[in-house]
Amino acid sequence: MGTNETIDNLILELRRGMLVLAVLSQLDNEQYGYSLINHLKENGLEIDQGTLYPLLRRLESQGLLQSNWRIEADRPRRYYIISEEGQKLLPQLKQEWNSIVTLMDKMLK
Amino acid sequence: MNLIEIYVSEVGRRLPQTMRADIEAEIRSALEDMLEERSKKAGQPANDEMVLAMLKEYGDPEKVAASYLPERYLIGPSLYPIFMMVLRIALIVTGVLAAVGLGFAIYQSTLTAQGVFETVLRAAADFFTSLVIALGNIILVFAIIEWALYQSGKKIDLNGNAKKKEWDPHSLTKVMPSNRIKHSEVIIELVGCFIAIILFNFYPGLIGFTPSLNGVVGSGNWAIGFGSAEFVRLLSSAFFHFVPYLTAVWVLTIILNIILLIQGYWNTLDRIISIGLKVINIVIAAAMLAGPSLIALTLAGLTKSLGDAGTAQMILNLVTQVVHGALWLAIIAGSLDVIVRLVRLAQARAYIPR
Repeated sequence: MGTNETIDNLILELRRGMLVLAVLSQLDNEQYGYSLINHLKENGLEIDQGTLYPLLRRLESQGLLQSNWRIEADRPRRYYIISEEGQKLLPQLKQEWNSIVTLMDKMLK
Repeated sequence: MNLIEIYVSEVGRRLPQTMRADIEAEIRSALEDMLEERSKKAGQPANDEMVLAMLKEYGDPEKVAASYLPERYLIGPSLYPIFMMVLRIALIVTGVLAAVGLGFAIYQSTLTAQGVFETVLRAAADFFTSLVIALGNIILVFAIIEWALYQSGKKIDLNGNAKKKEWDPHSLTKVMPSNRIKHSEVIIELVGCFIAIILFNFYPGLIGFTPSLNGVVGSGNWAIGFGSAEFVRLLSSAFFHFVPYLTAVWVLTIILNIILLIQGYWNTLDRIISIGLKVINIVIAAAMLAGPSLIALTLAGLTKSLGDAGTAQMILNLVTQVVHGALWLAIIAGSLDVIVRLVRLAQARAYIPR
């Protein structure tokens, strides 16, 4: 395994957990997949479709998101929004994230 | 059909039916959104080139489909070390028996270059066949265990207990010390079963003996497999009639031992099954004793090859006694084994963990 591949894999691992929080935090308003990708991009977070859609599905099966299909401009779109359970969980996740950031800031100084 | 549809169905055919339509619809909708934006940016209607670039970015359908699926194993990491151990045992047993079989076949063949070549070729084919059958069966058994473990885990999830049962260090002392398996015992039984299955099913010709050359037999100068070019099959078709039943018991014994290796200890069900298998063995041995002769030798045949009726009779009697003795031994030792296992079962049931 080359160094680049190693770094890529490590970065992927680091991002994996963060993406869940990022997605949950942005879904207090309904969004369909592609609009969420664009929204995240505008905020500086690039995520590819192949990662986002399975993630949304997983979060929905865990009960943290809800989804419904709607027809718009002759096209069916699946809209996602954070569920009640997800809303309960989000503050805890945010708190955990903040303490990780503080901790890592201190360690990496 | 346009490219997007082909792409979507390429992803879909790699997904389970239950989720296919839903995921297909979502990918289709995402691709259409992407294409629309690209066409707007380019200031021209969408064309094939745009679609190709977009699909390239979306990725290989195989990878896209895989990203929706949980990781599944035919034989997962927790079973892998035991799988490799059983596989090694089977490989060694098959290899050793094939080598013995080859040596014996060359010994029996006309010792011309062509004879030896043909024998080696046939032995290689036999080895390959027994190897494929052994590997196939071992993989099948492990795959079924893996599947069963996966299904049981899934059931727990569906019942809402998403977390696996918490591991309790107390469980370490819950297993009665004598319930822990002895690896050497399990491995010896595995090796024995593999040898028996492969020997009786693939190399039945190895079981027999060869009366000595020159008629110098006096002291019963014979050996299993080796002695002279004229080989006499020891066991009759009456014996081989029992081989499928015996093989079934051996296969079940192998499966039981594999499960024991995975668990690391005996539970009540294992003990009952093992007792059942031993009892079946005893029944088969008794049926063999009661049935027609298991020995293929005849006095006339032996006399002809030895040239001496007295010696032939002596050898015939000896072989008959040995085979009967072996069966009686199997019945008596098997019965004692069953008693020991019953006692252990009773002890295990009476054991109260600290």
